[in-house]
Amino acid sequence: MATEQKPGGLVQGTLHMLILKTLALEPMHGYGVGVRLEQISKGAFRINAGSLFPALRRLERDGLIAGEWQVTENNRRAKYYALTTAGRAALKREARDWEHQSAAIARIMAASLGEL
Amino acid sequence: MSALHRIAAGLAALFRPRQAEQDLDDELREFLEMAIEDKMRAGMSRESATRAARMELGSAAAVKDHVRDVGWENVVETTWQDVRYGVRTLRRSPGFAVAAVLSLALGIGATTAIFSLINTLMLRPLPVSHPEQLVEVLSRYPGEPRLSSFAWRHYEHYRDHSQSFSDLLAVSRARFEVAGDGFESETIDVEFVSGNFFSALGVRSPLGRVIDEQDDRTNPATAASAVVSWPYWVNRLNADPDIVGKVLIINGAPATIVGVAPREFFGLQVGLRPAVWLTAAMEPAVQQPSRLMDGSLGVGMLGRLRPGVTIEQALAEMRVLDRYRIEDFANTRSAAFARDFTIELEPAAAGFAALRDRFATSLLVLMVLVALLLLLACTNVASLLLARAAARQHEMALRVSLGAGRIRLLRQVLAESLLLSTAGGVLGVVLASAGAGTLVRIVLSGREFLRSPQRIEIQTQPDGQMLMFTTAVVVLTALLFGAAPAWHALTSAPVSSLRTSGAAGETRKRRLFGRSLVVAQVALSVLLLSAATMFAQHLSNLRNQELGFQRASLLLVTTDSTTGGSANDQLFASNRNLLGRLEDIPGVRAATLSGITPISGAGASRFIEVEGFDEAPETRRYVPLNWVGPRYFETFGTPLLAGRDFTFADRVGPLVAIVNQAMARHYFADRNPIGGRFRLVGPSNSGITAAPNQLYEIVGVVADAKYLDLREPPPRTIYFNAFQEPRSFRRFALRTAGNPVAVAADVRRIVQEELNGSTVTDMTTMDALVETWIVQERVVALLSSFFGGLSALLAALGLFGLLAYTVTRRTNEIGIRMALGATKSNIARLVLRGALGLVCTGLVLGVPLAFVSRRLASQVVADLSVDGVWPLVVAPVVMLTVALVAAYLPARRAASIEPVEALRQ
Repeated sequence: MATEQKPGGLVQGTLHMLILKTLALEPMHGYGVGVRLEQISKGAFRINAGSLFPALRRLERDGLIAGEWQVTENNRRAKYYALTTAGRAALKREARDWEHQSAAIARIMAASLGEL
Repeated sequence: MSALHRIAAGLAALFRPRQAEQDLDDELREFLEMAIEDKMRAGMSRESATRAARMELGSAAAVKDHVRDVGWENVVETTWQDVRYGVRTLRRSPGFAVAAVLSLALGIGATTAIFSLINTLMLRPLPVSHPEQLVEVLSRYPGEPRLSSFAWRHYEHYRDHSQSFSDLLAVSRARFEVAGDGFESETIDVEFVSGNFFSALGVRSPLGRVIDEQDDRTNPATAASAVVSWPYWVNRLNADPDIVGKVLIINGAPATIVGVAPREFFGLQVGLRPAVWLTAAMEPAVQQPSRLMDGSLGVGMLGRLRPGVTIEQALAEMRVLDRYRIEDFANTRSAAFARDFTIELEPAAAGFAALRDRFATSLLVLMVLVALLLLLACTNVASLLLARAAARQHEMALRVSLGAGRIRLLRQVLAESLLLSTAGGVLGVVLASAGAGTLVRIVLSGREFLRSPQRIEIQTQPDGQMLMFTTAVVVLTALLFGAAPAWHALTSAPVSSLRTSGAAGETRKRRLFGRSLVVAQVALSVLLLSAATMFAQHLSNLRNQELGFQRASLLLVTTDSTTGGSANDQLFASNRNLLGRLEDIPGVRAATLSGITPISGAGASRFIEVEGFDEAPETRRYVPLNWVGPRYFETFGTPLLAGRDFTFADRVGPLVAIVNQAMARHYFADRNPIGGRFRLVGPSNSGITAAPNQLYEIVGVVADAKYLDLREPPPRTIYFNAFQEPRSFRRFALRTAGNPVAVAADVRRIVQEELNGSTVTDMTTMDALVETWIVQERVVALLSSFFGGLSALLAALGLFGLLAYTVTRRTNEIGIRMALGATKSNIARLVLRGALGLVCTGLVLGVPLAFVSRRLASQVVADLSVDGVWPLVVAPVVMLTVALVAAYLPARRAASIEPVEALRQ
């Protein structure tokens, strides 16, 4: 039903995992998540609002993160998202899958004819 | 876990829409503010930071849309919007809405009504355990409907020897007088059942127990068991909770009620509702002479297939076991007769096949007709919608330009279609429930077609299956007629439609499509009209066929069994006096009596040996017999071709007979049959005895006449003089000058006076008897005419809509033509020519279709004539007439266009 837009520069399907990872470091509002992703990736991933908010909504719907209105350090009101227990488990699972896959992909990409 | 989350969150959002919306707005605003602050911190001015942040965020509405799309509740919300919007637009054009809904209601209603009959009679499974394992045992004799009745002794043989069935049960229908403590005696429907009846079906009693195999072994004279039906228990036995153990007196014999059948269990034949089930062992106590004792009790048989046994395997075994019955027939009747019998098995999840066999063809034909009608209604609504879609192109284009997604637009159009078809469906179900009831009443007005004395009652109240069927039809029709407008919604090009004003923006392709829809309607309508003519002709053929007697002004009277113990001479005198007095009634031309009334479904027959005619025993065929009084042929209007009629004086003379032409031709060929002699041989199959081994002399030859039923050709028939028979006859016939019913009162009175108080039990006319044979044909002819008329009306509406729309669209062009010198009649002709072109194209497609479908129909419907040209002539003529009427109004409007005003537009 939702048209999943491919966020800038991301490997498809990894946005949820990256958001979970970002929130595992500390609870964060939507804007912060976007900034944090950009910072850590050294500007490689720029996530626009049109991708970020639907992703947050989906994770919230799935019970992986929970949102709470809090006051920011600048005395503003923002919705802070935090990982739930289910979210932590999901992150662990996805991280493991990702490791397996990327290692496998790396092996394939590094292969030369002689090794076969 | 996460699914639950989604549902809960969705519901929360649905019930607190403002809260959810507010949260999202707040979040986005904060996002924007933070972005601005960040950029200002990086050194941008407030304005440029705001502009940059806004550009990065993009359209807030679009982001919100994306977020909303995440939850399922959004679908509910937008669908609700679509529906509300649909209702609003339909309310803006009530004429269109009413036409479309009515059109659909008629189509859906007709389909639902026929389906509810099919469902009740043929599909709905019995309320027993694993009905899909049940099969009915049937027997077939060439040229006759399938027989469901077997002799008890044959049943016992199958039951004791078959390996294919876990149970084989038998049931026999009867009507008896019943009496008991605390209620008035009345005549009720009962069924004798084998001991395994209830256990084989898996039917248990909610109160007491059911009849079981133990009951087969108890002494019926003292301890017969009875199970009463739920309605009988409630309505007649006052739902007495202590009913078990009470005694019913059935035809004078006591039976102990052992239990009540479950509420939903009505037996094995749809349409019948026996009040009491009795153990078959009781039959000798209530019926004399007993037919169970000599094994001739007629029973229907139902078997439950053992797990893993296929119906083919069971049939193979039954064919072997059936040799017992064939040998039995060969011994008691004739080898030739027995040889032709075959046995059949049929799935019986819905119960006994009798009603199914009877109605399957008619219902199939009607179902095809209503499906065509529904298709026509869909085409009709599609063409209406299409005209509207052209008018709404502007609106669609505007919505696309304002950012509505194509999918959303498509959903909007489909929602409108669904709205229309749902309204049509609801109205259709109302029409259907009224229509189905009427249909059942008409159909059941026919003769007793189960060869059973019991009353038939068919209930067609809506049930789950019917609602599911109607829902499926509603959705399917919506998709069918909504497809074209939906496609247009998908392909509407915003820029060009916005630029051009209304009319000229229509493409050639679309015009062609609209016209082809009208052509399709005409073709379908021709098909339905020709079917209607075909069935009307079929009915009239049946009605007007040569019967061999005059059906009009013939009164048929049946008395109760008369004159118990009155001596022969007395009987003769009273019958002769009665006939004399009946003939004296003013308005009565002739009166007679007979053993059998023609085409009443009853008959008697014997083998004969004709002197001078050698016939091998295997090729012998039964010859139908009747016993008639003097003036029988005059009364019935059957011509006497040679020889003389019977007289009262024959009573003391030698045995005489009159034969029909078919009989004379077969046995006497070119010899003179008058004076020929024959004798009756072999056993009687009817219980009616004629003098054994005596020679009859033929004294007359009469024309062939129908005997057993209306459809079979007249068989070779022998008539005996009723007054040479040592028994009484209960059927009288009177030829009247005017309406036969006028003399009814006199007849009743005279019968009572002359036959020592016996009464008239049944009085009918030959006309009515003929009509009861063709009830189904009448229903099919009636309904197909109705559907044909409706289809012509719908096609006319479609044509009218298209022409009216075309005239509006071409106002400008017509104005120019008139300005250039075209006369009013030129313009009217222009419109009429257009209409004629469409109709003729429809005819060119429809007539060959009608021709082919007639051949198909004749393969399904017996005796349907395919030679008549009427159906192929009447339908096009009706269609052309209707089309011209429909085209008249638009043509007149076109002709009355004022050129000056038209050009100004």
